[in-house]
Amino acid sequence: MDKERELYRELELKGVSRREFLKYCAATAAVLGLSELEFTTRVVQALESASKKPPVIWISGQDCAGCSISFTGALNPPAASIILDKISLRYHEAIMAASGHLAESVYHETVKQGGYVLVVEGSVPSADDRFCMVGGRPFRKILEEAAVKAVAIIAVGACAAYGGIPAAGPTKGIGLNKALPDRQVINLPTCPVHPDHLVGTVLYFLATRKVPLLDDLNRPKAYFGRSIHDNCRRRGYFDEGLFLTDWNDPNQQDWCLFEKGCKGPDTYSDCPVRRWNDGINFCIDCGAGCQGCAEPDFYADLSPLFTAEGEKSKNIMARKKAGLIPKKKEA
Amino acid sequence: MGKKISIDPVTRIEGHLKIEVEIENGKVKDAWSAGTMARGFEALLTGKDPRDAPFVTSRFCGVCFSVHQIASARALDDAFGANVPWGGTLLRNLAMGAEYIYDHVLHFYHLTALDYIDIMAVANYKGKDKDLVAVKEKILGLVKANDTFPLTPRYKPDEYCVNDPDMVIAAVKHYIDALSMNAKARNMGAIFGGRTPHYQSIVVGGCTQYPDINMVARFRTMLDEQAKFVNEVYIPDVLAFGTGPLLPLATMGVGGGHNNYLSYGALEKDPAGNDLVFPPGVIFGLDPGNIKVQPFDQKKITESVKYAWYKQDKPQHPYNGKQEFDLNHKEAYTFVKAPRYDGKPMEVGPLARMIITKNPTLLGLVKKGVKPGAVARHAARAIETKLIVDACYKWCDDLLDAMTKPGFKIHDTDHWEPPETGMGVGFYEAPRGALGHWIKIKNKKIDNYQAVVPSTWMASPRDEKKVRGQYEESLIGVPVPDAENPINVVRVIRSFDPCLACAIHLIDPKTNEIRKFIVE
Repeated sequence: MDKERELYRELELKGVSRREFLKYCAATAAVLGLSELEFTTRVVQALESASKKPPVIWISGQDCAGCSISFTGALNPPAASIILDKISLRYHEAIMAASGHLAESVYHETVKQGGYVLVVEGSVPSADDRFCMVGGRPFRKILEEAAVKAVAIIAVGACAAYGGIPAAGPTKGIGLNKALPDRQVINLPTCPVHPDHLVGTVLYFLATRKVPLLDDLNRPKAYFGRSIHDNCRRRGYFDEGLFLTDWNDPNQQDWCLFEKGCKGPDTYSDCPVRRWNDGINFCIDCGAGCQGCAEPDFYADLSPLFTAEGEKSKNIMARKKAGLIPKKKEA
Repeated sequence: MGKKISIDPVTRIEGHLKIEVEIENGKVKDAWSAGTMARGFEALLTGKDPRDAPFVTSRFCGVCFSVHQIASARALDDAFGANVPWGGTLLRNLAMGAEYIYDHVLHFYHLTALDYIDIMAVANYKGKDKDLVAVKEKILGLVKANDTFPLTPRYKPDEYCVNDPDMVIAAVKHYIDALSMNAKARNMGAIFGGRTPHYQSIVVGGCTQYPDINMVARFRTMLDEQAKFVNEVYIPDVLAFGTGPLLPLATMGVGGGHNNYLSYGALEKDPAGNDLVFPPGVIFGLDPGNIKVQPFDQKKITESVKYAWYKQDKPQHPYNGKQEFDLNHKEAYTFVKAPRYDGKPMEVGPLARMIITKNPTLLGLVKKGVKPGAVARHAARAIETKLIVDACYKWCDDLLDAMTKPGFKIHDTDHWEPPETGMGVGFYEAPRGALGHWIKIKNKKIDNYQAVVPSTWMASPRDEKKVRGQYEESLIGVPVPDAENPINVVRVIRSFDPCLACAIHLIDPKTNEIRKFIVE
């Protein structure tokens, strides 16, 4: 039985020993009322015709794992169902069972085969490769080699898309827009990625095998088509010039957060409509304002975050005074 | 000369860490811990508006984001002279409590449980429980489809792996359930934090989320579901494993280390901050029969960079430390600095906290023969999760009480503007242990910013005296009968809940070459 030998070899590769597999066959065969041989043969046949789940490789560079955690916050559908039922998650350092050489072997095998969706979290250090090494190799090289045979590349979070916070540091973190300039990348910025944005984009791609319609910053228009300000529930107060100055004052609780540094008018994302954490809350509703994490100039160019003294805030106010930001009823 | 092995990447942790061990006679003889990624956060904050710091430093870690935000805000509170009103403290505590609950549960089920179970034992489950049969079918379905990623490949199960089908199938079900419980716990935190990961509402002087009664009611309802899971699933699972199949590992004290423990103390139960969920304290050379706790003195903290990729300097107190990289420093093997307390390496985190507070449940396990080590760390983590759940109920009551009184405040508005000059420190207890942020302000801008995080304490390299860090020391003597299958090494490392990216490689001791395990 060559096929059976082949099966054992493949199972071994995946960490299931022949003994374990036979134990499983015996147990299952008994339940099904079949002989062990009959059952093993059926499994081998099933393997040949099994519909393959699409492989996904998720690599992390200069990251904080926040996008990974954000992804596992998906409840509808739940993350467990995506990981086990919808995709074949070949490599994800925070989730996979394997470590060290076992983890690396799966990665290399999958990269060799090609045809996977590549998800990238975290930036790439451009100052020196040695600022991010995985398995003894520069993350930049891992990214470049994994990109070659990927059917789609998704940059999750501000760091992977445009460099994010690490872009401001001595390691000069860059996003895929600069690290993979010749490849089409679907950018899902915000810090961290919104789980709906990621799950929706992956499922859309798997269903249609097409990249969703993107804006000029390669963000899906469906999620990043309108500004935070367009849909902000505090927008009427912005129009009236009523800006919150004291978080203790119950009368000011709904006022505009511009004076506290809100960058909503120049930030494009559907946060006010979709909200975060299963709709429970989001930045503007908790009184802290939008810090522009969906935009390429996040973070350093938007500092100071919590005042209206930054360039972007001054520009927003100048436009408001010149009547260039339409009022809610006019929009 | 033993055989050197290296695991890179160590997965199911946060970040990039490399650990090398030398094995002799089936046991670890020496070990090296190395962080292999740097972003330079402290350096990039220099010159920025100090009020950016809590938002930016939250991004130190997307798993334990709130602790950084709060520790940073506390450093600013100190430097600005802000007095956080009780309402602001309660909101911070509730946001923090939600993080503890999700983080500890995630660590047990998603980051470590796979090291302790033989997942394929689900095939032998003979019971009729509908939910468990569904789990069995799901896993067998993956095997039949010849696609068991990401549950395999894995290190070969050894004699300590649980293979009792009933225990394993329950653990696998709880692994799946816990993913949703984690998401819900983070959602609970977002009620006051704004959103997760990375809360938005924690600022110098307090919190920006003005609470209403419905928010408190919602938090409490969600807390009920979490409490049920913690009390009826998480704690029983940890105890069943720890006092059952893993008892030999527990009583051997595999993964013990230096036996020095440190807690800064955190989480106020009263406005004056006299009563803390986790009290501060220091223990040198633990004697379980006679626990002696010394007071904590922040002046005794220093950081050594002798074996790290930084510009060389003598050990410095964090106020004076710098973050200037030197990638060509010959002796260095990590981006992690080596913090020491009174010159000694320390363990921080749940085990340290539960020993320092002399928790009766933990001491009960010690009486049964459990020694400080990997298994005891899991137990301590579960025990303190219940303390946090109980504290969250109290904080909900306190918040309702405070917000229904006149003059309720969540923020110190008088100290919102940065001082011309100033310095401050924010101590906190992260899920992974003692956390400190230090800030110096000059011309209303950040002049110097330093953080000593729990994983810096524990993943640290050797210091000036060549004394190993806690991860390194805890690996000494750990049984590795098969160098190709160093499962005990990752068990010990993961028991600390590392929050950086590590790696362990297999190195040939003669040529010093990293052995290749790549399947061509």
